[in-house]
Amino acid sequence: MVHDDEQQPRRVVITGLGTVTSIGLGAPAFLDGLKSGRSGVKPLTAFDTTGFAHANACEVADFAPGDWIHHVDPRELGRATQFSVAAANMAVADAGLTARELRERRVLVSVGTTDAESRDLDTLVGTQLAEGPERLSPGVARRAQAGRLSSGIVRELGLVDVEALTIPTACAAGNYAIGSGFDAIRYGEVEAALCGGADAVCRKTFTGFYRLGTIAPEVCQPFDIDRKGILTGEGAGVLLLESLESALARGARIYAEVLGYGLNCDAHHPVAPDQDSLARCMEVAHRNAGVAQEDIDFISAHGTGTRANDVTEAGAIRQVFDTPPPTVSIKSMIGHSMGAASALAAAACALALTEGFIPPTVNHRETDPECGLDCVPNEARPAELNVVQNNALAFAGNNAVLILGRMNRTRRTARPEPLKEAV
Amino acid sequence: MPSSLVISAWSAISPYGVGNAPLREGLAEGRDAIAALDHDTYPVPFGQAALVPDFSAAKYVGKKGTRTMDRVTALAVTAVGGLVGAIAGELQARPEQTALVLGTGSGSVQSIMDFTKDSLSGERPYHVEPARFPNTVMNRAAGQSAIWHRIKGPNTTVAGGALTGLLALSYALRLHRGGHCTRVLCGAAEEFSTQRAWLEWHGRAEEERRTPLGEGAAVFLVEPAEDATAAGRTVLARIAGTRFRAYREPDGIRDALTACVRSTLDAAGVAPGSVRFVAPLGGGGKPAAEEEQAVTDALPGADPAWIRLREHLGDTSAAATALQLAAVLAAAGGQGLGPGEAALVTGVEPDGQVGCAVFTGV
Amino acid sequence: MTTTHELNAGDRARIKGIICDILEIEPEDMTDTSRFKEDHEADSMGAIEILSQLERAFGTDIDQAELSRMVNLDGVVTVVGEAVAAQSARAN
Repeated sequence: MVHDDEQQPRRVVITGLGTVTSIGLGAPAFLDGLKSGRSGVKPLTAFDTTGFAHANACEVADFAPGDWIHHVDPRELGRATQFSVAAANMAVADAGLTARELRERRVLVSVGTTDAESRDLDTLVGTQLAEGPERLSPGVARRAQAGRLSSGIVRELGLVDVEALTIPTACAAGNYAIGSGFDAIRYGEVEAALCGGADAVCRKTFTGFYRLGTIAPEVCQPFDIDRKGILTGEGAGVLLLESLESALARGARIYAEVLGYGLNCDAHHPVAPDQDSLARCMEVAHRNAGVAQEDIDFISAHGTGTRANDVTEAGAIRQVFDTPPPTVSIKSMIGHSMGAASALAAAACALALTEGFIPPTVNHRETDPECGLDCVPNEARPAELNVVQNNALAFAGNNAVLILGRMNRTRRTARPEPLKEAV
Repeated sequence: MPSSLVISAWSAISPYGVGNAPLREGLAEGRDAIAALDHDTYPVPFGQAALVPDFSAAKYVGKKGTRTMDRVTALAVTAVGGLVGAIAGELQARPEQTALVLGTGSGSVQSIMDFTKDSLSGERPYHVEPARFPNTVMNRAAGQSAIWHRIKGPNTTVAGGALTGLLALSYALRLHRGGHCTRVLCGAAEEFSTQRAWLEWHGRAEEERRTPLGEGAAVFLVEPAEDATAAGRTVLARIAGTRFRAYREPDGIRDALTACVRSTLDAAGVAPGSVRFVAPLGGGGKPAAEEEQAVTDALPGADPAWIRLREHLGDTSAAATALQLAAVLAAAGGQGLGPGEAALVTGVEPDGQVGCAVFTGV
Repeated sequence: MTTTHELNAGDRARIKGIICDILEIEPEDMTDTSRFKEDHEADSMGAIEILSQLERAFGTDIDQAELSRMVNLDGVVTVVGEAVAAQSARAN
C-alpha cells in the first residue's frame, strides 16, 4: 500500500465565507441579518405566478452579477452558477487570499445543488412552447448544465491544479460538498477547498412543492404550531477550507473548525423523511467528529417548516439527545434555498461560533408541542459556543449532518473509526 | 492520491445491450451500436443515436412501482441491480455500510422540462403530476436505486460533464478514506431523450453535431482488496488513483492531461510502459487529438491497446468515462488486469477540465 | 349545504381507471369501499397524485383538505361530484 496510513490526519478550518442570500450579500451583511432576525420574504418575481393562489419566496433581489464576477462573462453563466461563482470570489477575498495564490495550490471545488440551472431549463421550455425546439438559445442550452456550478469557479479564478465536481444531492447537497472538502484536506489530498452549494428559484421546483401542498402562503414558521410549509429561496454559500497548519502559517482569521460529518440514506421513501434513519445519521456524524451528543451547543436544523419535516426532525433529535440543545432554523429568514441551504446554514454556524450567538427562528408564535424544542424564537441569543451541529435532509432520504467547532488550538481531534464489519 | 481500493465486480448497460456480456461481445467484434432513429418516437435533429435496445423500466425493473420511473432512473436501478447480487449478504446484514455514488449529467432533462411544460401549458399552473416531481430533482436516480435495493450508506450524486464517471470514482475514494463506508457502489448513468438531444444540438458547435448521442450506465463495486478476497470475489483491478487539472484554451489540453497521467502513475509507482489498455473519451476533433497526444506523451515505451468507445457507442455524456472503465474491464477478461499490467482512462471536458484514472493488476 | 353532482357510470369508471393506474393495481382488485392505504398500499404521495390527476381530468379544483375523505372509490366519487358541482355553480 502506497498511502501512508500512519500520517496524522490534518485539522480542517474555515477561513473564508462567501454568502449570497435574500437577507444580505457577503458575510458581514449575512451576519447582520442573522443577528437581527431579518426576513427575506417577498412576492416571487422569477416567473409569472398567475394562477397560483399564493406565491411568496425569498429571492436575492439586489444581485448584480457584474459586481461580483470579474473574469467570466456573467451571460455565459446561469443564475445558480452566477451565485456560486460570486460566493466563491467572496470566500477567497474573505479568507485574505488572492486568485493568484490559490492557483499555486492544489484545490478541490465541490458545489452542491438541487436544481442546478433548472431555471434556464424553464426558460427553454417557454421558448419551445412558443416557437418550437428549433429556436432554443445555444448560449442558454450550453450553460444549463449542473457541472457548470463548480467549473464556473475554476474558470473565474483561473485555477490550474484542481478537481471540480458538482454534487446534486438535492436539499442536503451543501453538507455533502463541505464534507468532501473536509476529507480532501484532512487526508492531505488538497491544500484548499472551495465548497458549498448554490440554487436559483425556478418555476419547476416552486410548482412541485406547491402541488404537494407544502408552500406556505405567507411566511415560513419552523417548529410553530401554525406552520404551513416552506418558502422557496435561493442563493449560494461557499466556504474556503484549509488545514489548520496552513491557516496558522499565513496568519489567517479562523471562523471555525470542521470536526466531521455523517451521511446516510433512509432507502425508504422518495419524499417522506424517516426519524430512525435521521437519528442514526446524527450519531454517525458525532462519531466521525469525535464528539458526544452532550457536547452540541445548538443545532441548526433542516427545519423546513412543513408539518412532516419538523415533527420528524424534532423526534430524531429527541431520540439522540438526552436534553436537546437549542434548535433553530434559518429557513425562517432566508427560506429554503435548496442545494445552498445547508451550505448557508454551515456559514451561519461558523459565524455563530465566531461571534458567540445563536441565530433565531423568526416568525415564531407558539412552539408545536409535538416538536417540543427551544427554537430560540424571534431574537438571536448570546451564547458561548464550542460545538454546533448542522442538519440537512433531502428527497430520497439523503441525510447529511455536519459538525463544526470553535477554534481551539489544543483540541485533540479524534481519528474517525473506520467502519468495519463486525467480525 | 493513491488508494488501496480495488474493483471486484462491475455492471454495465450499453447500446450493445443490458449486462456485461453484450458489452464484452460488442467490443470484441468491434461492432457499431449506432442506428437510425425513429423520428416518430424521438422528434430530434439527429438522424442517428445509440440506444440501449428494447430498454424500458417495465421490462427490466418490473411492472410494479415503475409507472412514473424515468429512463435514467431505470438505467441506474438496473445497473446497480447487476451488482447487488455480489454483496447480497453484506447488504442484508449491514445495509448502512455500503455507499452508492452515482454520476449524472443534469438528472433527466426530459423529466425536468416535461414538468415545467405541464405547468406552463395546463389549465392551471399547478396541474402537474406530483409523483413525477422527484424525477425532476437530480438525486433521483441514486436515491431510487438505494430505495429499490435497500442501500442505506452514504448516497451521493456527482455531476461533472464528460468527466462525471471519473469524478464519481474520485469522490468515492475520498468518501471511503474518510471512514464513511466499508464499500462503495460507484458509477454513472445517462439517458437518451428528445429533450437532451435538442439541448446537445443547440449547445454544440456545427462540426460536433455529427456525433450521435448514446446512453447507458456502468457501476463498479469498490472495496478494500482484503474484503474482496475474504468474500471470494476476484480482484479485477486496483484503483491506483485519479487526477484532474484545468485548462483555459484547447491548446492547453495536452499539457494538462499529460501532467495528470504522469502524476497519477508516479504517485502510485506505476511504470508508464506497463499500461496495457487506454480508454480515452475521444470527444470532438481537436480535444480528441490533444487527448491522444497527451496520453502518448505520458506513456513513453508503452504499446497499449486503445479502446475507442465513442466510435461505437456515440456520445454517452455523463456515462462516458464510466463506460470507458467498463470497457477496460471487459477487455481485461474475467480475471481482470494481470500482475504488472495497468490501464488508463482519460477524459476532456470542453468546459475546461481534464482528468484520468489509473488501474493496475494485483 | 353541499351540492352533489351525480357523476354518471362513465365518470365513475374513468375515476376508477385513473386511481388503479396510479396505485398499479387491476380494476377487479378494487371495490367501491376497499381502502387505498390499508388495502392497496397507497402512501401520501399516492393520495396527492390521485387528487392532482382528477383535477386535471375533470378540469376542477379539489381542496387538499378533502384528502381525508378520499380514502376509497366511493369517497373519491363523492368529492369529485361536489367539486364539479361547485365548479358549474361558479360558472353559472
